[in-house]
Amino acid sequence: MKRILLACSSGMSTSLLVSKMEQAAKEQGIEAKIWAVAQDKAPEDMKQADVLLIGPQMRFMKKKFSVVAEELGIPLDVIDPVSYGRIDGKAVFNHALALIEKG
Amino acid sequence: MNSRFMNQLENVLMPIADKLNNNRYLTALRNGFLVALPLIVFGSIFVVIAHLPFIDKLIGEEAYATFQDALGPASAATLSIMGLFVILGIGYKMVEQRGGESIYGAAVALGAYLILTPQVLGETTGVIPTSALSAQGLFLGIFTAFIAAELYQFFVNKKLTIKMPEGVPSSVSRSFSSLIPIAFTLTIFLAVRIIFSYTSFETVQNFIYTIIQEPLTALGSGLPATLIAILLIQIFWFFGLHGQIIINSVLDPIWFSLNDQNFQAFQAGQELPNIVTKQFVDTFIVGIGGSGMTLAVLLAIFVIAKSRQMREIGKLSIGSGIFNVNEPVIFGLPIIMNPLAIIPWLLAPVVVGAVTYFAMAIGFAPKPAGVIVPWTTPALLSGYLATGNNIMGSVMQLINMAIVFTIWLPFLKIMDKQYYESERTAKKAS
Repeated sequence: MKRILLACSSGMSTSLLVSKMEQAAKEQGIEAKIWAVAQDKAPEDMKQADVLLIGPQMRFMKKKFSVVAEELGIPLDVIDPVSYGRIDGKAVFNHALALIEKG
Repeated sequence: MNSRFMNQLENVLMPIADKLNNNRYLTALRNGFLVALPLIVFGSIFVVIAHLPFIDKLIGEEAYATFQDALGPASAATLSIMGLFVILGIGYKMVEQRGGESIYGAAVALGAYLILTPQVLGETTGVIPTSALSAQGLFLGIFTAFIAAELYQFFVNKKLTIKMPEGVPSSVSRSFSSLIPIAFTLTIFLAVRIIFSYTSFETVQNFIYTIIQEPLTALGSGLPATLIAILLIQIFWFFGLHGQIIINSVLDPIWFSLNDQNFQAFQAGQELPNIVTKQFVDTFIVGIGGSGMTLAVLLAIFVIAKSRQMREIGKLSIGSGIFNVNEPVIFGLPIIMNPLAIIPWLLAPVVVGAVTYFAMAIGFAPKPAGVIVPWTTPALLSGYLATGNNIMGSVMQLINMAIVFTIWLPFLKIMDKQYYESERTAKKAS
């Protein structure tokens, strides 16, 4: 079970990605829990996640989240803006998987 | 566009965004407003219902007045005293950030604010004027909540607490452990109140109002400051940084208090004093597809685009765009870092801001009535609701869309041509 957390300003635009990513997970036959939250809820929800992906428009939050991520020992990254704009669930899902693999 | 210059600008903007967004006080302020938001929206919905057109004709004047009176408390208990919820929210979030007992943060912030508030209305003592708890009281409320929460946490950290012996229920010992920090904090505010009563200002309220609130609000209600704010939001977004979350956290207290002045006047049936308000920006500039008013951009794409890439982006973005979520078009078109997009991206909102301002100034379009419409409300409907059920509010939004459409059109045509040609060469190559 892969637990992937997305975060943006209010969890709106990242939630568009969630359904597309779930679809990608299904196609690849990987069991995954994917959810999107507002930036302020992210540190709390990170406890339940294997990886955190940040919306590119909130990339200035990376430093703050990195501190929490390090404590919890989970990887995090900013979502590639092009994949974000195209709501490319597959690309973002693979990005998340790669991050989890790498640890 | 020179990419080195762009990189340098991004290097300047990133730390600003980081600082503003991660600033402890601004974070608490933003989250404090979020606490009040559901209540404000609730109150606004009932204002809209109470002022629906033609009801007075339908049920008669007398019944209409009764109807309005019956719905009155919905907004009086929420929208009209929004400052109260913001103060609670900020106090709570301030202490929560520090890992303290956040509910006491809310309590101490409210207590401190009430100590500073003169509990007298005309000749009647023992009342709390609701005006002090409205958006008008926001400025003092925000400062008070910041300071009260900091002092509270300071005394907690100094271990100035009463330790209960083991065996005492934890909820009992917790309330005792906040006793001294709260008492010290509130005593300090009491002293401040007493000191001010000996000055010519008499109350802290008067002092804040004269020294900070009035000049700042006057500045914020003007067109130049508003256009600069809009431009800054657009510049941040151009670099792919969330502009509103950065700029609005600073300006929201001003915009909300201007909103409140209009709301009071609207309720009283008087002329609305302000053009620039929270809803001026949210409904007539941002709320037409999201920042940059990209709904009109999407329409333009549907009209002219021949390239597959652009049509795809249009299709992907329209669903969320109707509800003013527009990251797909900002990152997908893309608008960010796109030299072809920068001119219409920066220009359109500024032109729209100025046009809307003058249209409202000459009375062509109605001023925002102070009703808070959620930012996800689709365009046209939001214009109607924000102006207190006035169809001209929707018309103004239509005009704004036409402006954005026109400004973007030539630039979109060039972009589309580029995409189309590269698609054709790619096809030929394969």
